[in-house]
Amino acid sequence: MNGPIRRLALALFFCFTVLLGAVTWIQAVRADVYRSDPRNARVAIAQAGKERGVIVAADGEVLAESVPDEEDPRRFNRAYPLGPVFAHMVGYTSPIVGDGGLEAAYVDELRSRRDLTLSDIVAAILGRDLRPRSMRLTLDSRLQQLAYDALGDRAGAVVALDPRTGAILASVSKPSFDPALLGNAEAAENWEQLLQDPDRPLLDRATRELFPPGSTFKTVVAAAAIESGVATPETMFDDPAEFPLPGSTATISNFGGGLCGDGSQVDLMRAFVRSCNTVFADLAIQVGAPEIGLMAEALGFNRELDFPLPVAESAFPTGELANDDAALGQSGLGERNVRATPLQMAMVAAAIANDGVLMQPYVVDEMFDPDGNTVSTTEPEVLSEAMSQATADTLTEMMERVVTEGTGTAATVPGMRVAGKTGTAEAGQGASYPWFIAFAPVDDPQIALAVMFEPVPAEGTSETGGRVAAPVAAQLIEGWLEIRN
Amino acid sequence: MTRNTEGVLVVVASALAAFGVALVEFAGGETIGAQVGLTFLVFVIAFGGIHVALRTWAPDATPLLLPPVALLAAIGFLEVYRLSPYRAGLQRWWLLLAAAVTCVVLAFLSRSGLGLLRRYRNTMLLVAVGLLLLPNLPSSGPLPIRGLTQGGSRLWVVFDLGFTELHFQPAEIAKVLFVAFLAAYLADRQAALTGAHRRLGPIRIPEPRQLVPLVAVWAGSLLILIYQRDLGASLLLFLSFAALLYAATGATGYLLAGGLLAVGGGLAAWRLFDHVQRRVQAWLDPFADFADTGYQVAQGLFALGTGSLSGSGPGLGRPDLIPNAETDFIFAAVGEELGLAGSIAVLCCFALFLAAGFGIALRSRDRFRTLLAAGLTFVVGLQTFLIIGGVVRVLPLTGITLPFMSYGGSALIGNFLLLGLLARASQEERS
Repeated sequence: MNGPIRRLALALFFCFTVLLGAVTWIQAVRADVYRSDPRNARVAIAQAGKERGVIVAADGEVLAESVPDEEDPRRFNRAYPLGPVFAHMVGYTSPIVGDGGLEAAYVDELRSRRDLTLSDIVAAILGRDLRPRSMRLTLDSRLQQLAYDALGDRAGAVVALDPRTGAILASVSKPSFDPALLGNAEAAENWEQLLQDPDRPLLDRATRELFPPGSTFKTVVAAAAIESGVATPETMFDDPAEFPLPGSTATISNFGGGLCGDGSQVDLMRAFVRSCNTVFADLAIQVGAPEIGLMAEALGFNRELDFPLPVAESAFPTGELANDDAALGQSGLGERNVRATPLQMAMVAAAIANDGVLMQPYVVDEMFDPDGNTVSTTEPEVLSEAMSQATADTLTEMMERVVTEGTGTAATVPGMRVAGKTGTAEAGQGASYPWFIAFAPVDDPQIALAVMFEPVPAEGTSETGGRVAAPVAAQLIEGWLEIRN
Repeated sequence: MTRNTEGVLVVVASALAAFGVALVEFAGGETIGAQVGLTFLVFVIAFGGIHVALRTWAPDATPLLLPPVALLAAIGFLEVYRLSPYRAGLQRWWLLLAAAVTCVVLAFLSRSGLGLLRRYRNTMLLVAVGLLLLPNLPSSGPLPIRGLTQGGSRLWVVFDLGFTELHFQPAEIAKVLFVAFLAAYLADRQAALTGAHRRLGPIRIPEPRQLVPLVAVWAGSLLILIYQRDLGASLLLFLSFAALLYAATGATGYLLAGGLLAVGGGLAAWRLFDHVQRRVQAWLDPFADFADTGYQVAQGLFALGTGSLSGSGPGLGRPDLIPNAETDFIFAAVGEELGLAGSIAVLCCFALFLAAGFGIALRSRDRFRTLLAAGLTFVVGLQTFLIIGGVVRVLPLTGITLPFMSYGGSALIGNFLLLGLLARASQEERS
């Protein structure tokens, strides 16, 4: 009888060893991950009322600061002078609902360390500076405000990048919220109200939500076609009123019906400038899912972006499309299986603007200490060399003609060469997602951007990217170059 | 180790409980006052009382059992106090009552010996079954005693005393009686169980007739699950039975059959019950549905992770953010405020208690005492593994209390009853 009991005891002690291992894993190895999880309110609670570093925009405008409490000067309240304009990027800090945005991602740097935790004591012994750090963002408050106003009362998003560095110049999502609402005494009710709001103001549409990119995705298909040698702007395609999808009874027709050219043959340039669906369904199938997938991935699709905030992964499901030409044809128009964030589509424009080289997007320019000394600076990094300079130049020419004579004439900025591409993704019930991606000036690109609006069902098919989103892009490009000079 | 050392360690544990309360008061900005003295007093009376009872009625029992229990109770009490001073006040009364139960068991059995339990095994079974069925009493009606559904499980009984209500979880006491019954049953039937068996290839299969009790218990614990939706208790009961059958016969077939039936029952429960599915989901990925099903497990992980190596210090963490922190998740509360150091200390205390318990079983010369000591020890060990395993995501959460540490009167009384029986088994083995 003792043998089995001994084995039972051994089994139990083995189980306890597993517990020891698991609890060590959680409390020693993974401790920081759990401690700094934005949903873990503990750090925010401990930091409540403590001073934090300042967050400033690239132009020096204060976005978040700690101001002493009027009644108890030892306590600090967090103030967000520009409130909803920067809410999704800068975030919020709340002892009740936790931290969000960059306030959460950089809590370890921003926080005051007067009450020492073990890791802080170790850092102090190693001689590190424990005063709260401040941070300067790449966002420009003037451009951000301009974009915020330009979106008006509609749900939508704008992302603007400096194509040469990857610095994010503006990232706006609407509707927005006032981060101060989450730091006050009624934070719990306000949070609940924001969560229940059917317009989803807490959602960052610029980086955290995926949308069908519509015809703006034709830039990716065209890039793959030119880079792989399948087509040039001069390559001729059939010009049917309806393109039959292989292996399916469905057909593709152009926006609003009709032909792309004269009904016999049409070249790729014209098809791109007029955004002809028939030709691009045909082209996508000719290029094939693997080639388009490679180009999409080089431009940032299907991969996790190294970014301080969680970013939704834009998707081009190469594997699924490899054996389904009907789906591939539709995906070539940025519908069906293709999904992208506005940030992703701004990256596509930026890569073309930067001679085919995609820069890693970043939003924190530098960290500095309370004396104003820079502690660390973000160096621009190449994310991928997505296409050759020749391909980028060709695409630039095609995109410029979209603005001068095609679907994107509303993006014209007097006295400046602008390159762009419209998109109008179907949203069902006749409604659509109007898109526009662009960069300018063509000869020395300083800004690349994506503008996207959510569908308004009542508006129907009049809501094209060229009509709704392109003017916003023009306004921002013009505004940015004015700010710059 | 001698009885005197045991006495010293018991006083040290009492002082630790009082010191912990003082730290919590201090962290909360309160003046350190009556609560500290009261806690010390109650611990000294409770554990000092058991110590004296051991000296009087079980002088030869091992002195290794009481100190780890006292330390676990002290650490558990400190966290209960930190989470709810009101509940800690009640817990002090429960502690006194539970210690009294241990003393009564020791005094009562000092004359008749454990043989008494063996003679009345069928009575114990009836009482245990009766206790288990109590929560199925109607929730409302003229009776002063009612069943209560809480958190989707029906495992509570409410005594309506007119002026106040007492909540009671009968499974905690039934488990001790069940183990005692099974030890007696198996000690009597051992020859029949080990004698005949069939061979199936290399595996020895017990005679099908002898599997009847196993199947009956399996069906029984499944019924408990269906009626009361108490995943933890049924798993605990069933696995303890399988382990005891194996201990008594040495036939791996029982373990195998037990394992298969447990897996089968678990799968059936998973298919049948939403709340089991939710728990499995919360186990696999607590962050997938953070706001709802995964919330408790995720908060437990946050607590443990934030506690890190040395913990926030008593009263300085936020274990109150974890739902049910003072019962199911007391281990996470300890881990948050006392850190990895505290978590490991708790696991080591349990391991020490288990080692002492299995030691008693292995040294016993009497079959019944061996099985009783092994069974009782195994129940404590398994219950600890199930609930801590649920907190640290080794297992799906089963929702049972952590022995000696969680808040709750019935749990304390059941486990202190178990402590008394173990000490008695040790006394009989040594004298």
